[in-house]
Amino acid sequence: MKTAVPRTIFVFVILSLVLAACAPATAPAPAGEAGAAAPIKLTHWIGVGTGGSQQAECVIANVIEPYNEMTEGVTVETVLQSNVWEAMRTAVAGGGGPDIVTTPGPSFVYEMAKSGQLLPLSDYADQLGWADTFAPWALSLGLVDGELYSVPHELETLILYYNKTVFEENGWPPPATFDEMVALSEQIADAGIIPFAHTNGEWRAANEWFVGEFLNHVAGPDNVYLALIGQKPWTDPEFVEAIDHLTDMQLKGWFMGGLDRYYTGTDDERRVMLGDGVAAMTIEGTWALDNMSNYFGEAAGNANEWDIIPVPSVTGEDIYDLGIGSTYSINAASPNPDAAADFLTYYFSPESQATLLVECGVAPAPVTLTEEQLTGLDPRFAKAFAGLTQASDEGNYGYTTWTFWPPKSDVYIYEEIEKVWAGQITSEQYLQGLQDLFQQELEAGDIPPIPEREVSS
Amino acid sequence: MATSDQAVRPSPPAPVSRQDGRSPWGRRYRKYLVPWLFALPILLINVVVVIGPSLSAIYYSLTDWSGIGAGEFIGLENYRRILFQDMNYRRAFLNNIAWLSFFLTVPFAVSLFAASMLARIRRGSMFFRTALFIPYVLPAVITASIWRNLLSPTLGIGALLSDWGIPGLDVAWLGRPQTALLSIAFVDNWHFWGFLMVLFLSAMQGIPPELYEAARIDGASRWQEFRHITVPGIRPTIVFMLLMVAIWSFLVFDYVWILTQGGPAGSSEVLGTLVYKEAFMRFEAGYASAIGLTMSFLAGLIISLFLYLRRRGWEI
Repeated sequence: MKTAVPRTIFVFVILSLVLAACAPATAPAPAGEAGAAAPIKLTHWIGVGTGGSQQAECVIANVIEPYNEMTEGVTVETVLQSNVWEAMRTAVAGGGGPDIVTTPGPSFVYEMAKSGQLLPLSDYADQLGWADTFAPWALSLGLVDGELYSVPHELETLILYYNKTVFEENGWPPPATFDEMVALSEQIADAGIIPFAHTNGEWRAANEWFVGEFLNHVAGPDNVYLALIGQKPWTDPEFVEAIDHLTDMQLKGWFMGGLDRYYTGTDDERRVMLGDGVAAMTIEGTWALDNMSNYFGEAAGNANEWDIIPVPSVTGEDIYDLGIGSTYSINAASPNPDAAADFLTYYFSPESQATLLVECGVAPAPVTLTEEQLTGLDPRFAKAFAGLTQASDEGNYGYTTWTFWPPKSDVYIYEEIEKVWAGQITSEQYLQGLQDLFQQELEAGDIPPIPEREVSS
Repeated sequence: MATSDQAVRPSPPAPVSRQDGRSPWGRRYRKYLVPWLFALPILLINVVVVIGPSLSAIYYSLTDWSGIGAGEFIGLENYRRILFQDMNYRRAFLNNIAWLSFFLTVPFAVSLFAASMLARIRRGSMFFRTALFIPYVLPAVITASIWRNLLSPTLGIGALLSDWGIPGLDVAWLGRPQTALLSIAFVDNWHFWGFLMVLFLSAMQGIPPELYEAARIDGASRWQEFRHITVPGIRPTIVFMLLMVAIWSFLVFDYVWILTQGGPAGSSEVLGTLVYKEAFMRFEAGYASAIGLTMSFLAGLIISLFLYLRRRGWEI
């Protein structure tokens, strides 16, 4: 009797603790229920890349904090997250996550919207005049079954960076057409310089940059558009020709000096090669504009300069392939959707976007920026974004694979192309595989929204 | 004043009441309920972390689940695709078999040899053991990054030798379909074999030294000592590690992912990387679940074989 009662109590205490641990936590009351005067707190997770948190901190200091100071009763609370997309989709799927939901691109929005995890934004877009802010095609990227669920951010494209000093020393003018680029590559290789500093050693998906560029710039964006809406098969001869060109250049060793070097080189290594003049050109995204200067000039141990041009096309037309680096939505579980919509209106205003670009080097959303707003920007940045904005406004643009292709086809594009380069399959077989997969995704309705385009006959 | 005898004498046990676990209910309570109550927290965690996801993986393998939202039931379609359609699966499976063959031979041979050599060293043996064990405690991402640089054709050992006038090794080992998988296995083995060696060394220290002395008196050679005394003496450890390595070989992911992500041209794709790509890049989580279950099935098959041989009287 002496010890039985304490022991029983001990066991029940343990049992109670276990059961208590399994019980759901008390849900916090939504901010709105606490009373009209209660301050509203919006949560916004910002991704931190391998480059560190410097850019994220710049965004907070230049755009988020001014918003918090400007608004009364609403505070945007930012959380820096590595692997932000993985964390985001797990949290949102579990009914939690931040008020502002970001994804790596429009194709990622589709499933979330279908699952009811995102708030429809069409009414907010009408009320807050988003259509006047964004480029004409931009909001259509966020449509799922006719309803707007996301707005695009980080407009990006691929451009041709070249070592201006090496070009000038050798008397090579920048190529204006695709054929000129091929002929120039031949000359560059003959001069003992590697034509293109390309690798996928650190980012295997870099393969898709080149496949996408060649499809758009050899076959033409009109043909790519027709294929994306299912009116033309990917097996048509113009696409085969594009892949054949890419394979030919790759197998000639024009990318990094050989296929095995292409597969193992690092990003830093190839940019050093470009800066030092070991390589002459590279096709890369506008995301590299911000740090390209680190590889040129005195600080990098060379006396070279760099410049950019649009990636040459077969017709000689300037074609910028549009890419969207991220999207913004509102969490369906957000207790403060109105405040979140107000914040998005502020965040996507041309003023905020210009600040993000000029101060932090963040690619802007597809909104119209004036020259005045871009004062202080490196002229090469300005040239790239002016060309991109003009192309997007005029509807004369190409399509990046990571924005306009459905996920399975996109992965197929950059994984299977290596089998063409390895001689395991032909260009025709590669494109047949793409066609089969794309058709399945088209029939399943998994294709990201493709803005309408006037196709020249 | 108490004597020393009194000081150490334990106090007499308290009288035991019938309610203190001696009644039929109390005995049952102590025997059956209390152990379960103590095990309950870990059982609950296992239900949440292991059993729940395992059962849901079985369900999802029968659906076309994308990883977000709900999936549609499609029966055995995913398994039909694995068996008859998916060439990437076939290739990854064969690469896993190649990986298994490598890891059931090379690290065992190297670590058995090293352990038998180290077992004879008395001075400085701790230094060698520690030095050889250190790679095992390094995180995979560090080891892989070091070796990525060492194997680089422009920055690595091959490039250095080439600069010294020894050409031929400045090869992109990880960039060639013929050498990529073998190079990754080499790097993983560099990290792993020290662990195996320490296990074998510990097991060897349990072998009575008299056996070696008797063998030497009988004129046995070093090889005969190793074959007839060392190997039988540590056989349970060897067999257990063979079993574990066989299971781990089907779960390999980290080194492959960090070094090549399955490339070039699928030459180093393994089932682990394929599952990741299907689930998180192609958004085919249902199909990835099916592949994951085939990996569990293969591991189960290996364990069953092990148990079967033991029942048949094999000393393992």
